[in-house]
Amino acid sequence: MSTFNSVINEVKFTSRDRALWFWIALVFCLSTLSVGFGLVQVDRQNQTIQHLLEADEQERLSLSKKVKSWGSAAYYNFHLTYEPPSDFAYASMGLRESQPWKHRIRMLALEGQIYERDVGNPSVALIGRLDFAFFAAFIFPLVLIMLLYDLKTGEKTAGRYALLEATAENSATFWLLRAGLRSASLYMSLILPLIIAGLIAGTELNKLLLACLWVLGYTIFWTFLCHRISAWRKPGSVILMTLIMIWVSTAVIFPASARLAIDRSSPIPSGADILMLQRETVNDAWDLPRDVTMDAFFSKHPQWSDYEPVSSSFEWQWYYAFQQVGDQRTEQLSSAYLNGRLQREKSATWVSLLAPPILLERSLQSLANTDLVSSVNYEKRVRTYHKELRDFYYPKFFRNEPFDKSELSNLPQFVPGK
Amino acid sequence: MKQIWLITLSEWGYWLRSHLALGSVLIFLLLSIVTSVLSASRMDAERHLRTHQQTEAEETFLAQPDRHPHRMVHYGHYLFRTPAPLALFDPGLDTVTGQSIFLEGHRQNTVMFSESASSANLGGFSWLSPAMVYQLFAPLVIILLGYGSISREREAAVLTPLLALGITGHTLIAGKALALLSFTLILLFPLIVSSTFALQAGESITTLVSIFSFYFVYLSIWVGLILVLSTLLQKRSVVLATSTGLWFILSLVLPSIAVNIATGNELATGKIQTDLAMLSDIRKLGNSHNANDPVFQELRVNTLKQYNVERIEDLPVNYRGIVAIEGEKKLTELLNRYMDERMLSEKRQDNFISSFGWFTPSLAISFASRAIAGTDLENYHRFQKEAEAVRFNFVQGLNHAHAEKLSYQADINRNKDDAAFKRARVDASNWQVLQSFNFQTAPLSHRINNASSQIGMLLLWLFAAFGLLLWCGGKIKP
Repeated sequence: MSTFNSVINEVKFTSRDRALWFWIALVFCLSTLSVGFGLVQVDRQNQTIQHLLEADEQERLSLSKKVKSWGSAAYYNFHLTYEPPSDFAYASMGLRESQPWKHRIRMLALEGQIYERDVGNPSVALIGRLDFAFFAAFIFPLVLIMLLYDLKTGEKTAGRYALLEATAENSATFWLLRAGLRSASLYMSLILPLIIAGLIAGTELNKLLLACLWVLGYTIFWTFLCHRISAWRKPGSVILMTLIMIWVSTAVIFPASARLAIDRSSPIPSGADILMLQRETVNDAWDLPRDVTMDAFFSKHPQWSDYEPVSSSFEWQWYYAFQQVGDQRTEQLSSAYLNGRLQREKSATWVSLLAPPILLERSLQSLANTDLVSSVNYEKRVRTYHKELRDFYYPKFFRNEPFDKSELSNLPQFVPGK
Repeated sequence: MKQIWLITLSEWGYWLRSHLALGSVLIFLLLSIVTSVLSASRMDAERHLRTHQQTEAEETFLAQPDRHPHRMVHYGHYLFRTPAPLALFDPGLDTVTGQSIFLEGHRQNTVMFSESASSANLGGFSWLSPAMVYQLFAPLVIILLGYGSISREREAAVLTPLLALGITGHTLIAGKALALLSFTLILLFPLIVSSTFALQAGESITTLVSIFSFYFVYLSIWVGLILVLSTLLQKRSVVLATSTGLWFILSLVLPSIAVNIATGNELATGKIQTDLAMLSDIRKLGNSHNANDPVFQELRVNTLKQYNVERIEDLPVNYRGIVAIEGEKKLTELLNRYMDERMLSEKRQDNFISSFGWFTPSLAISFASRAIAGTDLENYHRFQKEAEAVRFNFVQGLNHAHAEKLSYQADINRNKDDAAFKRARVDASNWQVLQSFNFQTAPLSHRINNASSQIGMLLLWLFAAFGLLLWCGGKIKP
């Protein structure tokens, strides 16, 4: 019973702390602001996609008069590919700020198109928005620190410390309870807007629960840390600065040095080299004897090797064959570029285990499908789709099927990821 | 005056005795020097790499064999954006924007391959730069050294005897302010390290002096704010908590809120969207590969009239080249119009974000710093415009070669047979139309001009902070 009473007393005491109410209100407002703007942003991106889909459809309709052969149909038809924001993206925009999530591609060599970046204002990517992930991972611990660092020293200066130590049944639990109550109230004010926004956005329940759980673990981590450090017999300023130093080390210094180390230890080819090689191959093909290109093409696509060229002048079959050969030539570089990025991502996952703010931000990004893996998955989907386009046109080219406009309605459709 | 000096000296003496103060200053200096050296060596490597890539791309273009000139229009060319010398201090947009652009006829491509797209994803702060160390962490050190300057004296009950001795509140504050201001000069020492590297990379001394003074003004604002809090609030612990809270709200929360509002406010139209919107306009311009496109009817009549001939076969120039020149010119005008619109909307968004500098000096300094370093949006736009100029120039140079150096007959018969194909070529010396490209930062006066509203914000903050301090000085009572 006395434990219960002491909890009640502590709740009463805590609720009279005006500074605490200020921070609770601040956290609640900022959290609401972050998810609110997140919802707006998601909506904006969906609108953009919708708008692009309509414009793209219009464009295809107005083109249909122009195309007179399979070759020109493949040449003139662009196809929109995109990755809609997930149902949890409102909490973390993550890499969608800097990695492309929409393309318009066509049957030409893909390597020349897939690295196109339509990502908007670089200033936005640089400064970064206040999304929930950023707020929870980087700013929230600072608020916790501000509230918890002087629990003991504050009482000492107020002259109540000895009394509290003497009256509390178990002084360790007493201080933990006091710290716990404060963190719990902050945690609630942080998480409540996230949950409400999740209900609005129709987020999958287990995603939302996981996110709450991650943030809870994170809050416990910082509460415990503050609790331990504030037990030092040092002035409040030393404790505060120590805690802030820990924040700076785990949020800034360690990630910054780890990033440099990772980038150095897993080198990737320069993107420009991929493009140049691809371009050289495609352009050289115009001057090379056709057999050279066609042989290179047939070696990877033996099913068309019985194809007999029709005329000596320009023909689409040859044109698309050298586009494909351009992709073939850069395959190695391109996959080195992809694997290098994945390798870096893998190392970053390990490193983030030692940097809690990064771990939380990355976990939320992965829940929101705004991490590198999702971005790579999108890229893979574009590649698959491009391959489907080739699979659609190649039989028509190499079997010399007569052009039939109605067939174009059977063109493969891009299916965005879930 | 002597009193002010004594107060300043005794404040310095206090810091030198305090482990906390000494420790934090040492950590800060270490952090900023290490960041400066790392950043300098990385940027140096980056500059060399991109300059090398640029030379290589130019050599490859010039080494192309004799060809049909229009083949070279499609063959295209690469440009690399060499970072500004001061990017080693403030990389700014350099890491989030693409580094290379492919130039070809009939199209304006995006700048591709940003560093941030391929680097390990470890949060926004992992892009720590010397500039960020100053913008974010120098204020913390100032808070740590300054929060107790007045409140400490008050808590130790020294304030009353001090004032009784005839030292006015203003003298006391002036002494403390002088101590903190002289201290910020020490914090700025690593900036001199960065500047030395930038000087070697070709930056002018005036630029370095101006970036130094901007950061001095910025840190002085913090000195003023901390002293005001230390004077107004009674307890030291409250001063420390309030100023730390102020620190993260001003430097972390407000800038990102500005971004939220800016992106919620105005939708910067993306490239694909612009491209799609542009298509119907482009179609009106006709297909310049097809000289018989009815769009070029007027051009045909005018050209025939100009040379006083009846048929295009009789023209002294290759009519297909004339059409290519005209088509590219019209198309580029259109593309540029859309590009300007896109840039304008980005610029508006940027201006909106930067206007939050009136509410937080940390946004004001970051925009000013990027502008002076030449790593801001303006600079990125200038790169795209210069790249476009290079594109238009070489494409039109090749089109002129097409019109003047290649006979019409050879051109229209190029697909007849292999021999005809080989005849439809011009000499490789025509590839010399390509200008050599070396992207330079804008002259300092331009950059200062770009930072002008930020300069206003910083000065206003400075005056406000010190005006408030002056007012507080008069209110110090025992």
